[in-house]
Amino acid sequence: MSRRLWPRGLRARLLVAFVLVTVLGAVAAAWSSAGSASTALVTSTQQRLTETIVGQIGAITPQLTYPPDQGALDLLRAAVGTDTLVTYQNLRSVDGADLGLVTDALRTAVHTQNQLVTQRITVNGRPWLLVGTPITITAPDGTRTPSGIEVYTVRDLTDVEQQIDGLAGSAVSTAALAVPLAVLLALLAAGSVLRPVRELRDTARRLAAGDLDARTPPQGADELAELTVTLNEMAESVQTSMVAMQRMQADARRFAADVSHELRTPLSTLTAVVEVLATTADGMEADARESAQMAIIETHRLVRLVEDLMEVSRLDAGTASLRVEEVDVVGVVRDGLRARGWLDLVELVAPEEILLRLDRRRLDVIVANLVGNALRHGEPPVRLDISASREQVWIEVTDSGPGLPEHVLPHVFDRFYKADSARTRTPGSGLGLAIALENARLHGGDLTAGNSSGGGARFVLRLPRDLEDV
Amino acid sequence: MKRIWLAVVVLLLAGCGVQPSWVTAGGEAPTGVAPGVTLYFVDAHEQLRPQLRPTGHLGAISEAAALLLTGPGNSDLHTEIASQAVTQVVVTTTPGVIQLLVPLTIHDMSPLGIDQIVCTALGVHVQGGGARNMKVQVRFTQPTPESDKQRTCPLIR
Amino acid sequence: MVAILLIEDDPLVRRGLQLALSRHGHEVRTADTGEGGLREFHSATPDLVVLDLMLPGIDGFEVCRRIRAASEVPVIMLTARGDDFDVVGGLAAGADDYVIKPAQPTVLDARIRAVLRRSTSTPDGVRTHRDLHIDTTALTVSLHGKPVQLTPTELRLLLTLSRAPGRVFSRQQLLEEVWEHDYLGDSRLVDNCVQRLRAKIEANPATPEYVQTVRGFGYRFGPV
Repeated sequence: MSRRLWPRGLRARLLVAFVLVTVLGAVAAAWSSAGSASTALVTSTQQRLTETIVGQIGAITPQLTYPPDQGALDLLRAAVGTDTLVTYQNLRSVDGADLGLVTDALRTAVHTQNQLVTQRITVNGRPWLLVGTPITITAPDGTRTPSGIEVYTVRDLTDVEQQIDGLAGSAVSTAALAVPLAVLLALLAAGSVLRPVRELRDTARRLAAGDLDARTPPQGADELAELTVTLNEMAESVQTSMVAMQRMQADARRFAADVSHELRTPLSTLTAVVEVLATTADGMEADARESAQMAIIETHRLVRLVEDLMEVSRLDAGTASLRVEEVDVVGVVRDGLRARGWLDLVELVAPEEILLRLDRRRLDVIVANLVGNALRHGEPPVRLDISASREQVWIEVTDSGPGLPEHVLPHVFDRFYKADSARTRTPGSGLGLAIALENARLHGGDLTAGNSSGGGARFVLRLPRDLEDV
Repeated sequence: MKRIWLAVVVLLLAGCGVQPSWVTAGGEAPTGVAPGVTLYFVDAHEQLRPQLRPTGHLGAISEAAALLLTGPGNSDLHTEIASQAVTQVVVTTTPGVIQLLVPLTIHDMSPLGIDQIVCTALGVHVQGGGARNMKVQVRFTQPTPESDKQRTCPLIR
Repeated sequence: MVAILLIEDDPLVRRGLQLALSRHGHEVRTADTGEGGLREFHSATPDLVVLDLMLPGIDGFEVCRRIRAASEVPVIMLTARGDDFDVVGGLAAGADDYVIKPAQPTVLDARIRAVLRRSTSTPDGVRTHRDLHIDTTALTVSLHGKPVQLTPTELRLLLTLSRAPGRVFSRQQLLEEVWEHDYLGDSRLVDNCVQRLRAKIEANPATPEYVQTVRGFGYRFGPV
């Protein structure tokens, strides 16, 4: 039997196994009882037939002339019935019908054994009983010697066979009756086994889907119950560590948010006063002026860093809101470049107008970060392509620098990742690309980094057009 | 797996129908043919002697008894049963006992004469396939306790 | 010389902003609580209020509401970036504009000047639309002959829209013209101001007669 025929489902397997066992059991029981019954039937029939034949022969032998003549043989044959042959030396009874059935083995046994012998044969599907016997001469003292007369007769056993077939038939129907019962029992058993299995599976699925509260109450004390308990324990420990991890993460985020928030007040003061400082710097001595200028620059850096940190905290916490309105993407990009004085440094390739529903400020943050990055780390010319299809809008920023090294590519969006450890003092906060990526995702789009065929680094922002639902 | 199915099928088939067999012994062969009937007479030494009367067949007990009553014929044996015109003997066989109603009285024969009748009847019974431990009851025409005796033949034990 | 009232609870921030704004030529009075701010507001009658929303005692929103109840003086609030709750609440309380903390004095100064510029007159006389009379020289508005009190921002919005009746102004255009914001201006400023304007000049603000919404784009002046 090939593996393909063996059913895969547990239920089907149980069902098949149950039915097989039941049928085999029923068949074995029915077969053995039918077998012994048929053996008994055959034996008793055979005995009755031979006794009849012996009786028929014994009734006539005392009247038979011995040595017998043809008439005596015919007489004996007539007494035993049709399908009988009586022989004596070269004489044989006439009218002995179909005795081609008598086997040589039987003849030999009759010649040598000096007693009645039988043999069952099947010819053309019909069972026959062959009976052969010598007739003995008994001396008054009881010693028996063969008389030389031999009787062969054939009896039809078809009736017996039909009775046996009836027995076998009733055995088969009994077994057949047991099958639906077996199916029912198998279904019940399969149900009782499969229900806990199914519950376990559902629980495991819920766990896998993130529902860490999912449990299965264990029932009974079998292996399944043990498995259930183990699964529950596993879920418990996963949940515990997840909760701990989430708390630690939340703590870390809150810490970042709190720190940024607390920094804002002193930074407000600094921002206010460094301008006063700047307006008076002209009258200072050179070193004091340089110090004042450094204080101004670093304050602005600090402000940007704190703002970026707070933005990242909001994005992490999921509290960043998207203020969607219909805007002209090209216009926003151009205005952003103009406002930062980048129009002359960036080659803008864009259609007249692309209307899109999105958060204007967040788009500006993304573009400013990408272009700022290209201007800082790449080499001019920096090219900005805007294109659109029915479903998507792409904004590509490509510089003409050496491109991003292979080992840097996977990390460009990591927070505070610096490609060049020597170049740690850059005006960026180290969060720009991470924030840009999060903003792209907030819009249902994405941001990818790579290298252009010309060798420069290329960032591609993809935005979906159908933002109605966001 | 194939073999198991084969075995199952064979077993199932084995349970069905009449199976052929080898030649098996089916008991004693019938008997009863004989070239003649054996009668018992008495010799000169007052001993029972069998005499084969070649009738060509064994015949019934009543025939043998009738032949016995007709005497030994030309032979050096003699009979100890008085000669009678009527030789018909009525034979009744019941399980274990053969009853013979002889047309004689107890006085028509010696004890050896009774043995002659018993042995002849028992001999025919045994030769016809009967059991050797059969008893024989000889009943006489006149009432006598001898009629109720169940006898055996001293020669056939 | 503009008289500014700065209400801010942190002493260093307050002092720093006072120093910086003074440098830009403003006369800056300060208060450290909402109550103190309101007292100062009534005694000093400043030209403009710069209001931190996070105040001990009565908070910035309440201070803004009380100022607005009593006067049309422009209010600029200081909010945290991305804190939409602050922005929406502040605008609803009647603030004219907002600046994100930490506020750069130059930015704050630009906003202050822009807000105050909104009440500058243009000498093209009186515009009449049905029952609404707008005197662009005297900078007064009257409805059914009764004067309507508008804040400078509301007035400048109405003047801008009514300058070309029927023309559609996008929110962005209005932000640039009325608030003098750059391309990243917050359109909620416009929507909020339109709501307050309608409350003052429309009989039924739900079915406006004078300031119409052009869905998905902006606003225009005139009948439907």
